[in-house]
Amino acid sequence: MTKRMVVAALSLAGIFVALYLLLYKLGMVGALTCSIGSCETVNTSRWATFFGIPVAGWGVAFYGGMFVLAVASTGERYAESVSVSLALVTAAGTGVLFSAWLTYLELFVIHAICQWCVMSAIIVTSIFLVCVADYRDTRRGSDPGDT
Amino acid sequence: MADNKNKRRSTVRNASTRPTGFYYVLAAIAVIGASILGYTLLRKPAGAVGTEVKVDLATVGPAQGYTMGKSDAPVKIVEFADFECPGCGQFATVTEPDVRKRIIDTGLASLTFYDFPLPQHKNSQGAHNAAACANDQGKFWEMHDRIFMAQDQWNTEATDNPKPFFEKYASDIGLDTNVWESCYDSRKYQGRIMANQAEGERRRVDTTPTFIIADKMYPGALPYDALKAIVDSATQK
Repeated sequence: MTKRMVVAALSLAGIFVALYLLLYKLGMVGALTCSIGSCETVNTSRWATFFGIPVAGWGVAFYGGMFVLAVASTGERYAESVSVSLALVTAAGTGVLFSAWLTYLELFVIHAICQWCVMSAIIVTSIFLVCVADYRDTRRGSDPGDT
Repeated sequence: MADNKNKRRSTVRNASTRPTGFYYVLAAIAVIGASILGYTLLRKPAGAVGTEVKVDLATVGPAQGYTMGKSDAPVKIVEFADFECPGCGQFATVTEPDVRKRIIDTGLASLTFYDFPLPQHKNSQGAHNAAACANDQGKFWEMHDRIFMAQDQWNTEATDNPKPFFEKYASDIGLDTNVWESCYDSRKYQGRIMANQAEGERRRVDTTPTFIIADKMYPGALPYDALKAIVDSATQK
């Protein structure tokens, strides 16, 4: 698989993680639980919504967009496109920054760690690193000075 | 040099064709993800009320919590809690002393505790009965504090027989232990506990502790500042 295919696969996994968190937020999944330092605390905190939409909803949209972009980018037409690589890096970078802010909130403001949020942070960071590697490959491949 | 570039481009181009394996990987992720999500959506929660502990809404009678603070306090805080839940224990031992001193004692709000023993906590029913029997002698909150303070001594992980612990706490807080024991053994207040649990179920409580303040539900152990802010905002309404 190429790096962009790896990005597509990771994004698809991310969609399910974010979807689970969204359904949890909407009260559709999850058993009777005793809350302690976990997803209940994080997902019911006032930082669990962003511009009136659950953060997990933004996550689903982000991973969905990333998945579509990554799958489209694996087409032969865009194989050498630096702009497509740049778009992937930029989108993934935005995701990493947002995720870093959420992790900061979990660690220093909410004082609770949700394992699903950690999983999402790991996925988005992996996506970003693979996108950076893809961008470097594409740039190298298209660099006229490289001939 | 040009050959090198062409070779690299050719590698990129070849890689851009989507191999069948790529679709297999996506399909595998989709199937696994959808299965996990579907399973969580469709299964009955492991510890759901109505499975292990049957609460008959028609027969348990009216819910009756335990209230501290002024009955005419402007804000009423309702708490659904489980004595064996570590989150409830954390709230009771770390946050609640501040809540009592700065919110309840100052008349800003009252706090009513409702039993919501989770079925996965096997010793919790006993703990709720122990506290209800202490209430019989006017010492619910003393027992409440003692039970939460020593949660690690009597919880399901620690023992199969929590009664001797509760008996000791009853003695520690100065209850008539004979009266308390007779009440505990007869499960005199089991109906009240179940009614309180049923009230929680009616309000769709699924996490302990859950707070209801001014008709809004807040699942999870609220830190003091958050609780105070909610009380302040409810007071201003």
